[in-house]
Amino acid sequence: MIKSIYSNTLKSFFFKLLIFLVFVFITDRLLGAMLKKYYFKQEAGYDYLTTYAIEKTSADLLIFGSSRAANIFNTGMFETQLSLSCFNVGRYGEPVFYHYAVLKTTLKRYKPKIILLSFDAGNFSTYQVSYDRMAVLLPYYKDHPEIRDIVALKGPFEKAKLLSNIYPYNSLLLPIISGNIAYSKRKFPHLNGYITLEETFTGELQTIDYTKETALDSKKIAMYKAFIQDCKEAKIPLYIICPPYLINSIGTDASIIEAKKIAAENYIDFFDYSSDSFFTTKPTLFADYRHLNKEGVTLFCNRIIKKIKNAN
Amino acid sequence: MLFNSFHFLFFFVIVTTVYFLLPHNKRWLLLLASSCYFYMAFVPIYILILGFTIVVDYIAGIFIEKSAGKRRRLYLIISLIANIGILCVFKYYNFINENFSFLLHGFGLSNPMPYLSILLPIGLSFHTFQAMSYTIEVYRGKLPAERHFGIYALYVMFYPQLVAGPIERPQNLLHQFRQKHSFDGDRVFEGLKIMIWGLFKKLVVADRLGIYVNGAYNHLDQQDGMTLIMATIFFSFQIYCDFSGYSDMAIGAAKVMGFDLMTNFKRPIFAKSTGEFWKRWHISLSTWFKDYLYFPLGGNRGTVFRTYINLMIVFLISGLWHGANWTYIIWGGINGFYLVFAIITKKYREKVGELIGLNKFPRFNVFVQIVVTFILISLSRVFFRATSVADAFAVFKKMLTLKGSIFNDGAAIIIYCFSAIFMLLVVEFKREFYTGSLSFSHNKNFWVRTSYYCILIILIILVGVFDGGQFIYFQF
Repeated sequence: MIKSIYSNTLKSFFFKLLIFLVFVFITDRLLGAMLKKYYFKQEAGYDYLTTYAIEKTSADLLIFGSSRAANIFNTGMFETQLSLSCFNVGRYGEPVFYHYAVLKTTLKRYKPKIILLSFDAGNFSTYQVSYDRMAVLLPYYKDHPEIRDIVALKGPFEKAKLLSNIYPYNSLLLPIISGNIAYSKRKFPHLNGYITLEETFTGELQTIDYTKETALDSKKIAMYKAFIQDCKEAKIPLYIICPPYLINSIGTDASIIEAKKIAAENYIDFFDYSSDSFFTTKPTLFADYRHLNKEGVTLFCNRIIKKIKNAN
Repeated sequence: MLFNSFHFLFFFVIVTTVYFLLPHNKRWLLLLASSCYFYMAFVPIYILILGFTIVVDYIAGIFIEKSAGKRRRLYLIISLIANIGILCVFKYYNFINENFSFLLHGFGLSNPMPYLSILLPIGLSFHTFQAMSYTIEVYRGKLPAERHFGIYALYVMFYPQLVAGPIERPQNLLHQFRQKHSFDGDRVFEGLKIMIWGLFKKLVVADRLGIYVNGAYNHLDQQDGMTLIMATIFFSFQIYCDFSGYSDMAIGAAKVMGFDLMTNFKRPIFAKSTGEFWKRWHISLSTWFKDYLYFPLGGNRGTVFRTYINLMIVFLISGLWHGANWTYIIWGGINGFYLVFAIITKKYREKVGELIGLNKFPRFNVFVQIVVTFILISLSRVFFRATSVADAFAVFKKMLTLKGSIFNDGAAIIIYCFSAIFMLLVVEFKREFYTGSLSFSHNKNFWVRTSYYCILIILIILVGVFDGGQFIYFQF
């Protein structure tokens, strides 16, 4: 008798649990499909630029990097002066994992003629947020198997989380809405990924002491090496550039030292402008301490273009 | 192992399943082993510290029970010294040492004591207080000493509440380890519901607000007054959802296995006075201090002045319990002062209420009381959140100027933050003021209940923050 009640309780429990899980599963599939549809329908915003970089661009010259790439490398200037089509893949706050993932998807589709990689101080620093920021790649995980190993670095349970169809669009509801309205398209013109900064720096100069010991992240270094290696194997000329900072620096950043060393070992040009006195003495060329403004960009890009012309 | 991680999800499912499959007399062993694993997932070596206090308090409990008079008292003191001693070494040594150095420096002397580079064992203050309540209760004769070492160890180590409470009392928890918990589907669902709501509070509200709060408080020099006011308000919601979210998950996880843990929060957002706030906030700690410190100090049985002193002592120590930093002590002091001030001014405040006619509008009066209490508590939390006293004063200084615009790193963050607070307030408001009316979470209709929790889960996946990290109270 007791056994029968117990077994009925269990049956009822598992039945209710099953219904609940099916309910969640169906909602997840339906909402996930809807989010996917509208995510890839976006026509403006950062996610749109990432989709364009991963799935559409066929530009001759690709520029990789963080916000410093997006704000400093004026695609229009490169196109005019080098007579090459150009797209800026740079994305705010994104570290080398993102750059390498986008490179892999690109190389699967076509072979660009030149690649520029914008390198930042602290790019190899141990910083958990760098891994969290790979979340921007989640919408591409299912359709781009080539980036799965990179995305898996985000966390040990990423594959399990990606069983959900909604999870890849976590926290993207508002950006998806924004990217699908006409207003955003007017506010964020395409400009091949280049985002102009008009303002002029007005704050006080920071002093950054690079002599303090910093731990470097071996996974980031490995990813940087892989980026170089893939470019070499595809025989694509690669230039690594560190744009200027408006700071008083003590010593040199450990990541830049390491990146330069690896570039030299691979016979890759590394143009280090991080403390170039031409820029660092002119605050009017900066929008903030990390980003050149429109005027600074013009001067900086002219120099880079000249170097690329000389190298070729 | 964090409650908001996949690691815990797998752990919880496996432990709970095996728990119900095992015969009753073997279950304590499973719970103890899984609790050890749970704790060791943080810093394995610290299990030895926990083990040491468990052994000391277990033996002390038996000795206290067997002896009488001064000897009985001596065993209690040994147990308390062992517990507080560990707290002092791991939590307060460097703080005491720093202040001692500062004092000696004033006299032109140097401090010979070294700085200890040690990590604070996770949840140390929680399980130490829980262990202390056991020996005190045995000493008071309200509880027989536990003879089963495994059961006693489980009382201290029971994984759902091991690292951040609720700080249980032996009378409530110990006997539950001996009770046979048969599988009860309704109870399991009830526990899971509490866990889902806790997870929602943590991932959707607390960790979302945390992004803004951390952005503001970690770069104080770049923020203006308006930003800091908003960040401080957000922090009040963040810490509530972070901590009560943990408590909900702990209570829910225990409930699934058949255990009833004490209620730790009763919607403190709706407290109408600071006194009421402390009856609703971290109840297990408030009652711990009331039972084991405030009453032994004399409570409110002496003169009025003595009551004020007792209240101040309790709150200053409560501040110190939270962390070895002057910010926490000041935070405790401010909250103690609120209570003392409330008692002193009670008559005058009532008269002012009558004079301006607030009493004629009871609902509006309640609203004003809730808002004022929320503001007072939020202001005190500036010290709780700031990393130093100087930073806390800098925040107040900027708040007073009200200069500048609100820090806005993309409109989405602000919209998410306000939406999260709105959702929280709707649910909490309903639970506070309309308990008997329409309920989605406990609706009689299965499909309504199922839909409600399905929506909560979908919201967690859609807008929850999955990289938010650990719970704020783990550091205590």
